[in-house]
Amino acid sequence: MTFFFAWTPFLDPIPIWANAVWPWLLIPLTAAVALVYKSIKCRTMRQVPREAAAIAIWIVLGMAVAAMVLSGVVRAMEW
Amino acid sequence: MLLRVIPCPGNKRGYSITPLMSDSSTRTVSPSIVAVASWLVPGAGYWLIGQRARALTVGISIIVLFVAGLLIGGIRLIEVPGYGDHGDELVVSQRDSRYGDGPQAFVEQVTEEKSIPSDARPVGWVMRVHPLDEIRNKPWYIAQILAGPLDLIASWGSIKASQPGPNSEPFLGFRSHARNNELGVLYTAVAGMLNLLAIIDAASRAAHEEERA
Repeated sequence: MTFFFAWTPFLDPIPIWANAVWPWLLIPLTAAVALVYKSIKCRTMRQVPREAAAIAIWIVLGMAVAAMVLSGVVRAMEW
Repeated sequence: MLLRVIPCPGNKRGYSITPLMSDSSTRTVSPSIVAVASWLVPGAGYWLIGQRARALTVGISIIVLFVAGLLIGGIRLIEVPGYGDHGDELVVSQRDSRYGDGPQAFVEQVTEEKSIPSDARPVGWVMRVHPLDEIRNKPWYIAQILAGPLDLIASWGSIKASQPGPNSEPFLGFRSHARNNELGVLYTAVAGMLNLLAIIDAASRAAHEEERA
């Protein structure tokens, strides 16, 4: 907590080091990629929110599956 | 079903980016002007051709992504070609390495100006002497610069934050490492690459409108 109050935004990196926290930073990245990609691809902007939500969920699911598979490979190699 | 990705109507193949997928309110503007505007301000190209909702969605998403990257990794995650760890210009220097009566030979070294060895001769700023090598050393910058002048401002900030502080600190801002740095670089580089997509799409829509007019 002390680190957080000593943090100067933009000058210092965000004080997040816990392994449980940083994977969540994937969500905003995925959302932005999905939004921009679907804004470019769709004919009307009305379709974008639904399309972007769907593709964002697919990306996150894909990354989660890839993480699980890779984790399994690492454990198998270590075993 | 929420997870079903439906091909956007208006596109016969259902997947490629074509200028036909445009909003009804489209204006005729030169594609090169649209491309330059899109680089200067993400989303501005769409705004010029009258597609304001698209302009705001794309522009805000790209800018937020870039700024979030700087917030995660700190401004010093932008590694500016031609500048070193202390915010000084990188200089190429040569040192005579001839052995005995052998052929004349030089060893080149890239350092900040204050770190040039006493027996070496400065040749010039690395971006003038070996620009491609220097950019190859900092490849993420190629993607980041596509985000436009926002990246130039961040580059200036990164150089300033690398320099000594007013109260004799070695530098103003800390350089991030490990995952913080990786995520910050990823956010800023992806923002730049998304802007490249937006530049190409906005320019192609403008070209299509020009042809129709």
